[in-house]
Amino acid sequence: MENVIRFENIEKIYDMGKVSVQALRGVSSDIKKGEFVAVIGPSGSGKSTLMHIMGCLDTATTGSYWLEGKEISKMKKNRLSQIRNKQIGFVFQTFNLLPHLNVRRNVELPLMYSGISAGKRYKMAEKVLNDVGLGDRMNHKPSELSGGQRQRVAIARAIVNNPAIILADEPTGNLDTSSGNDILSIFSQLNLTGNTIIIVTHDPAVAQRADRIIRIVDGLIVE
Amino acid sequence: MAISITESIRVGLSDFWSRKIRSFVTILGIMLGTMSVIVILAMVNGINKQTLAWMMERGGLAKITIHHNWGYESKKNLPDYFTLKEIFNIRELLPEAQYYNPEMNDWGRLSYLDKSFRTRVQGIVPDFQFIEEWSVDQGRFISQFDIDQNNDVIVIGTKAVEELFGSAEPLGKFINFNSRRLQIIGIMKHRYLKNSFNVGDENSLDYLNWRCFVPISTMINKISGEDKINTLTLKAHSPEEAPDLADKLEEILLNMRQGEPIFDIQSAKEEAQQIEKNAGTFRVVFFLISIISLLVAGIVIINIMLATIQERTREIGIRLAVGARRFDIFIQFLVQTVIVTFIGGLIGTAAGISMLNIVSKYMEFQLIAYPGMVIVALAVAVGVGFLAGIIPAVKAANLDPVQALHYE
Ligand SMILES: Nc1ncnc2c1ncn2[C@@H]1O[C@H](COP(=O)(O)OP(=O)(O)OP(=O)(O)O)[C@@H](O)[C@H]1O
Ligand SMILES: [Mg+2]
Repeated sequence: MENVIRFENIEKIYDMGKVSVQALRGVSSDIKKGEFVAVIGPSGSGKSTLMHIMGCLDTATTGSYWLEGKEISKMKKNRLSQIRNKQIGFVFQTFNLLPHLNVRRNVELPLMYSGISAGKRYKMAEKVLNDVGLGDRMNHKPSELSGGQRQRVAIARAIVNNPAIILADEPTGNLDTSSGNDILSIFSQLNLTGNTIIIVTHDPAVAQRADRIIRIVDGLIVE
Repeated sequence: MAISITESIRVGLSDFWSRKIRSFVTILGIMLGTMSVIVILAMVNGINKQTLAWMMERGGLAKITIHHNWGYESKKNLPDYFTLKEIFNIRELLPEAQYYNPEMNDWGRLSYLDKSFRTRVQGIVPDFQFIEEWSVDQGRFISQFDIDQNNDVIVIGTKAVEELFGSAEPLGKFINFNSRRLQIIGIMKHRYLKNSFNVGDENSLDYLNWRCFVPISTMINKISGEDKINTLTLKAHSPEEAPDLADKLEEILLNMRQGEPIFDIQSAKEEAQQIEKNAGTFRVVFFLISIISLLVAGIVIINIMLATIQERTREIGIRLAVGARRFDIFIQFLVQTVIVTFIGGLIGTAAGISMLNIVSKYMEFQLIAYPGMVIVALAVAVGVGFLAGIIPAVKAANLDPVQALHYE
């Protein structure tokens, strides 16, 4: 199987004037298409930092990163926006929905930045919302939904542009066990239909669902 | 690939409605600014229109008027009036003028049978009709023959008709002026100009309707008994020639009075230019005032937008995460600012136009709207929004995605 993601000797240093924090100390790995990977490790170990780099939200201080065969560490910011838009879907612990937009418009957001027409956007958003079981909540504001439902909207938004990878940072961290399990089932379902999924988590139960575990301790991959 | 402008406008508009109070505070300054722009433009327009209309009614821009210079005291006691002979001399020296009218006024009582009233009777020549662009409605005006013969004839205004005759026929009747019997040969056209200054008569030319006219020779030889012409009016062939004519006239008059500026020369064209210049200064001053208020409005907008962006840092992070480019963010906030100021401009324009009547009443002066000022006011509002929107929009566009996403 081909590698969707490949990174080599990634280091990330946060330079804050007097002190600098080395969040990643040279990590290398690759992730194959269709894999379900869990990134685990203690708090402050560098999991989110790695996810930001894989998601092209941030760039590594040194090292190389290839997404679908293309080296991106040296790309311009606008190009990175385009990659986030087309090739990456994010799911965050805090949902990160826009509160003043209704559910459908939240899901349409990535499509809007792709320049897709309003009519087509509507159909695509409707379809993914049906897939996550929220077809009847399209016109609700996020504040009118439960935590689990909000996270399903976030998943719908992440998959609507049919990305190469789905990155989730503690997606069940703000949810009770039952809605957390619902969310994980959706990820498993998405993985079965061929999506590449990378979940950052503390929770061993979550990690069990994954094909493979990447364990990070103190900025290094230990397993 | 880029988010389209219509999409930005849609996002901007929904932002506007979802934050009504803040939007209202933002547009308040712009509203007041555009409102004052509208009022100022209408005010200047009103002044110009009214003064020019009045000047056109009073003989147009080619007219030149000469009378005693009230600000000057002759050292040698030289006469501050003309004799008829002097007028003929001036006419010979200055043939470029198209029309000449020496005027000699006398106050007195006009009476017919048992009715009478006090008014001003003017001794004039036939050129009067062409200089003032005003002549008879019925009968005939004073002719050169009347002048040559010192005829005892009079042309009366509509007020005299009203006072002395009511509905009776005045033409051909004899009336008395200071015990001189004069036959009515004509009735002047009624004069009317709507007064847009809300003080005085509703008809700003009504004073002319009181006037009555006799041949200047009759006035000099039979009524007042003095050859003292206090006013001379003349008319150039065109308004463009008037200032030049006025200059030549000044030289002739100075020579006639041993270099003393006994007479005052007023060219309607020059007055109009002066009025326009004054209106221009007025416009500049008030434009500066509205510019300053719009500048303040702009600074308020910058600050509110900066606060808005700070508040929406996380939203910007989310938009960046799902693929917005920095330019998309820039446009979103710039368009939003422009929309806010455009709406403020629209409301301000509407408010400005609808309050023109109230301001007119209060200022006792008519403010006149015209289509172009809407465009000017809206352009000013949008311009302010555009300039004020740039700094916050740049700030928003330069946010770091990760930091914006984790902003609390
Ligand atoms: N923007 C930043 N500036 C400075 N230091 C940072 C920044 N972001 C992360 N760090 C530091 O980098 C290290 C790794 O942080 P990271 O967020 O990747 O940890 P994590 O594994 O996701 O932790 P958690 O499980 O608590 O989310 C930490 O020491 C953190 O303090
Ligand atoms: Mg983390």
